[in-house]
Amino acid sequence: MATYNKERVEHALNELLVRILPEDPNDEDEVANERFDEAFEYAIEELETAGDPSVVPDINHVASLIDKRVSRDVNGAQKSARFHNLLSRLISQPVLNQKWRMLHFLNQLSELPQAEHAETRDAARMPITPTKHAHTNPLPTGSPAFKDAFSRPGLSHIPVNDGSPKPSPRPAPAEPADKRRDRRATDASKEQSAEAAPPEPTYLLLGPSEPALLRDLPFTLQGISSTNLIFPSSTALKLPPTLPVPLISLLHTLAEPSLLYRGLSDFVESTEGGLVGQSFRSALGMELRSYLGLVATLEGQIKRALQQLDESQTHHGLGKAGVTLKRCVIWTREATMGLRLMSLMVEESKTKKGGELISLIHSFSLSHGDPYVGAFAERLLAHVTRPFYDMLRQWIYDGELADPFGEFFVSEQSEAEIFEANNGKEGKGGATSVWEDKYKLSTNMIPTIITEDFARKVFLIGKSLNFIRYGCGDAAWVDTYSRSASKELRYGDTANLEQSIGDAYKTTMARLIDLMEKKFHLFEHLQALKSYLLLGSGDFIAVLMESLSSTLDRPANTQYRHTLTAQLEHAVRNSNAQFDSPDVLRRLDSRMLELSHGEIGWDVFTLEYKIDAPVDVIVTTFGSKQYLKVFNFLWRVKRVEFALSSTWRRCMTGARGVLGTVSDVFGSDWKKARCAISEMIHFVNQLQYYILFEVIESSWNELQSSLRKPESTLDDLITAHARYLTNITRKGLLGSSGADFTGQLHELLKTMLGFREAVDGLYGCSVAEFTRRQEVAAKIETRTAAGRWGVEEKDAESASPDPFSSTGKAKGKHRSTPSATSSPFPPALMPLNLPNNPLSSSNQLDILPALRKRLASLLTDFRARVNVLLGDLAHQPDVDMRWLAMVMNFNDVYQPVRRRRKAAPGTKGKDAGREREKETPAPQTAPGTAAAAKG
Amino acid sequence: PSPPASSQDVKRKAAREVIDILHEIATLLNTHLDRQQLSYCVSLIENGANPEALANVIRKLRSEYDASSGEGEAE
Repeated sequence: MATYNKERVEHALNELLVRILPEDPNDEDEVANERFDEAFEYAIEELETAGDPSVVPDINHVASLIDKRVSRDVNGAQKSARFHNLLSRLISQPVLNQKWRMLHFLNQLSELPQAEHAETRDAARMPITPTKHAHTNPLPTGSPAFKDAFSRPGLSHIPVNDGSPKPSPRPAPAEPADKRRDRRATDASKEQSAEAAPPEPTYLLLGPSEPALLRDLPFTLQGISSTNLIFPSSTALKLPPTLPVPLISLLHTLAEPSLLYRGLSDFVESTEGGLVGQSFRSALGMELRSYLGLVATLEGQIKRALQQLDESQTHHGLGKAGVTLKRCVIWTREATMGLRLMSLMVEESKTKKGGELISLIHSFSLSHGDPYVGAFAERLLAHVTRPFYDMLRQWIYDGELADPFGEFFVSEQSEAEIFEANNGKEGKGGATSVWEDKYKLSTNMIPTIITEDFARKVFLIGKSLNFIRYGCGDAAWVDTYSRSASKELRYGDTANLEQSIGDAYKTTMARLIDLMEKKFHLFEHLQALKSYLLLGSGDFIAVLMESLSSTLDRPANTQYRHTLTAQLEHAVRNSNAQFDSPDVLRRLDSRMLELSHGEIGWDVFTLEYKIDAPVDVIVTTFGSKQYLKVFNFLWRVKRVEFALSSTWRRCMTGARGVLGTVSDVFGSDWKKARCAISEMIHFVNQLQYYILFEVIESSWNELQSSLRKPESTLDDLITAHARYLTNITRKGLLGSSGADFTGQLHELLKTMLGFREAVDGLYGCSVAEFTRRQEVAAKIETRTAAGRWGVEEKDAESASPDPFSSTGKAKGKHRSTPSATSSPFPPALMPLNLPNNPLSSSNQLDILPALRKRLASLLTDFRARVNVLLGDLAHQPDVDMRWLAMVMNFNDVYQPVRRRRKAAPGTKGKDAGREREKETPAPQTAPGTAAAAKG
Repeated sequence: PSPPASSQDVKRKAAREVIDILHEIATLLNTHLDRQQLSYCVSLIENGANPEALANVIRKLRSEYDASSGEGEAE
């Protein structure tokens, strides 16, 4: 700081003033002197009162000030360069002490335009022109010192105008900070001056003013185009291009709810989609309405604020009125979040409907972290799920599906779908179709508000109700039930809902089972099936067999249905079956299967039990077929048993009488035959016992227990019955598992029948022999009585009545056909496999060897087969079958063979087997006999 | 071209040069000061006058006398 050297100053000042003050030649000296003195006084005073200069005493700073000033001028760059040049030269000079003061002085004196100092400005533009001139400053606080005190050092000397159109301190008025209220006026003035600063030539338009935008805002927020903010399309908003950037950013933020609202209102107006979709739309509509309420409040506020606008103040005093764009942004923020969420939901819901839609909204309320989102989704859910719950209610209590848009998770299947579902086969007919196929559960449509278990229960309930109504014809009950029990279901009431569903479930299922049992006599029918088709009622079957046996021996094409039915009636009347209910007896019928050539009656006969709806849901058509299969098998076994036992009877009774007399010839044969027959009878008996008691009865018990379970549903019944039948077929050696039991058994049975016929042939032989002997004896007697020789030669050549008549293989052995012979004994059959049927009157003793051979071969065949069967049985996983093997072979008379190849199995013991025989230990703990090892 | 410069000469020379420079700057800045006035201003300021006050004075006087006499200043 230079010292104030008064003397020198005065002197210099004197000189200066002389030169400055213009000389007026006209003036007198005195006046001039006076003026001079005046000026001098003033100057001295001024100089003495002035304090320190207000500029930072830094030459660079001052230089930069000057530089800026210079570059403002016309040839700015040039002049600036020159100035820099001069400056550098000046600085290099050692002369002046404080160059900066000089420069500062020059700066001050400069008449170049400066940014802030608007002396040359059009005064009409802005009310305030803060200048260095104290007297032109209207603001009370507008003195340069004060002003400068607020500005950053040097701010007032720096042109604020840096080319951008935005008045930067503009957001300041909108700040709600209270502590700045008192300075608001100053700030406003300062900023206004700042605003006044930008030289007009480059930025005249500031776009629509904030009040204008505020006026348009309520319309914009509703998606309506306004003067300044236009919606060229439904997804775009056009902002005026001349707005300053902060305004643009605010408007961007405000544009978001507007566009979202537009999109959402379009969506809400649309009417596609199912019931759930429509309720979704209405729920969204409600939310949008509350949004509109917010917009209305906003509009009210804006209107009030705009009325209070004061033209005289900055921004028309908008800041004071309290409503600005920024405020609106804050007010709409929460609503924007809601709108965002809604539009997200709408987007995702485009592909979904019904249960999926509900799951979508539910997922928002469940797993979203933001509590706002969760609450919002819950609100929506209560609304959206209403049609769903209506459908649910109707399904549960009425069994009716009221789902026009296919939104429920239970859907009705059309014919085509059922067809497809059965892989192109025909659907199961009758009531089964109603139960199984009519409705289907689509898991992806189950909304997440109910669990899958629950959904299954619901499905069952509805299905059962529907079934009761249509399948069982009990619509009345359904109606009363629905009237009494139906209550409204709601979202959010989970405990209640579960309770209702549980109750409905129990009631419906109980009712269904009850109906099945009482009205349709399900259990009776099952019992009847068992006793008739599965040969459960022995007496009936025995009578039937006896009466039918003679008929069935004849060829199939001679059977008549009415005879069969008559026999059936006869059997029914003569057994306990007559005490069954007439309904049951009505369904029992005899039938003939399809004929093919060469069959005898035994092959085509079958009983039948008619089942109709709705019981055939449980006893399906497939089940009926299985019953028939089992019946067929059992009937055959029974037949063999019957045949064998009747032969046995004859043998036994005959042994005391006729056969005893011929035992010299036939004795050993008969012994062998008796052994063989007893063996076979044993086998058949064991087999029958096994099937009837071990298999059928035990499965029946299982079935009963599962049927009578308290919580069983119709599905349970169906599965239990199916299992029952599979058990029977599998264990009853009818299943098509590895070893072909059925085939083996059939072969065995055939063998036995053949043997029996052979035995019959033997019997006939014996009888014929006996007869012959008797005749001879009689002849001898008569002759002896007549006094002649008893036996003559020609007797030996006489032809005895041919006891053999050839019969075709097709003829079954029978007793009731009246024969033409007079002999009280029916003609015995010829052995079956003699290719030639000699009608010659050869002695029966000639037949005998062939007969013997046949008997022997049949016996060995039988035994071999039994071995194979036993071997297979012993290796079955099922314990019952192994038991059968054990019981058949209880005295280890057979050696079970594990069949390796299809070749004929080795014989028993005697011959060295051509094949390997593997030892299969008997299931008993008795030491198994070692089979002959492969030689 | 002058004889071996004494410090005075150097000083004078320097002073003259400074004045020149300042005059140029003053011209750039449109201050309407001529050399004489400028030199006196320099001396004033060097002697401790407040440059802003001085500038004010000059301006005031100018405006006064401009307004009253309507004559332009001397150069």
